[in-house]
Amino acid sequence: MSTPAKSALPYLDTKPQGSADFYYAVNATFRFLLRRLGEAEWRRYLEELGRGYYAPVNTAWAQGGLPAVARYWRDFFAAEPGAVVEVSECPDRVELEVRECPAIKHLRAGGREIVPQYCQHCYFCGAARAEAAGLTFRLEGGNGRCRHTYATPAAGLAPQDLAQIKEAGV
Amino acid sequence: MIGCYDFCGHYDWTFDWLERAGGPGLVREYWEQAINQDSQRHARDLIQREGFAGMAKYWGHTLVEESPELGFAITEGKDVFRIDMHDCPSKGFLIRNDLASYQDYCDHCMGWIGPMMREAGFAIDHEHNHQGQCWWEIRPAGSPVEPSATGGLAGRHDVRLRPSWQAPGTALDRYRQAVDPDDKQG
Repeated sequence: MSTPAKSALPYLDTKPQGSADFYYAVNATFRFLLRRLGEAEWRRYLEELGRGYYAPVNTAWAQGGLPAVARYWRDFFAAEPGAVVEVSECPDRVELEVRECPAIKHLRAGGREIVPQYCQHCYFCGAARAEAAGLTFRLEGGNGRCRHTYATPAAGLAPQDLAQIKEAGV
Repeated sequence: MIGCYDFCGHYDWTFDWLERAGGPGLVREYWEQAINQDSQRHARDLIQREGFAGMAKYWGHTLVEESPELGFAITEGKDVFRIDMHDCPSKGFLIRNDLASYQDYCDHCMGWIGPMMREAGFAIDHEHNHQGQCWWEIRPAGSPVEPSATGGLAGRHDVRLRPSWQAPGTALDRYRQAVDPDDKQG
């Protein structure tokens, strides 16, 4: 496989980056779940995805702490085409400064109608993953640029205000 | 963030989640509505508009992007479009990473391509062996033509010529003139 053997990603492909058209399917999946099952079930899907599918990552974070979180996200965004993201480590937190979200960028370029709640998926899935690893997660911004914070409980982050997450759109 | 690099992994997980949430019918709805009508609407529009030429454009682009090692072959004949998939990038990702949340990941292709072809006036003969290998022959709906014999249409590119096609323990799923994942003949 062309991805470095020491990648922090749990599942490796033969290609260095994914196919951006799959963002169309992620967006379409959210639209289907929101229309067909409603917002509460969409949130449940994201939380269970976070605890279930990403369990190997959560375990690595629980064992490796914040350095493992930072390493994972660096490798993650290196494999997402078009991502412009800065990952910084502090003693009590890891911050991801997303300057260009690869998903929002590709959905816009493809003329796709982005579900307004799109950016909330990072919160509901990310918070479930952080909790499983004994961390807290907060999200600010959205619609192409945002800041993700993974922190230790000692950091004492204020509760998440969902109003701080922007609606996605054109 | 849910990424595109490991998309096939969480896509497979999602099928299983949907089945647990709403049964097999919800999975079929998902493939038809979310994938055929929404995510892959560019393929749907192209094939409805251009027929076989649209198939060549869509799969020529998509398979090269997803499978740069060219683990597939496309054969175009009179009133038929054939794909031989020797090394499916999608199922291959799951096999290499030991992922299998859903009972039969391969069903998702017929789940969205079947309805797309029905809408465009085509039907599908198809087999997959659950090991990242499959073949598709797409003809106008109602065509009296039988599926090709091994090598008869794709020549040496026919995936059925591979020793691994029916290796011991490999189970084939078959579809004839199909447009629905539940048209599977087992």
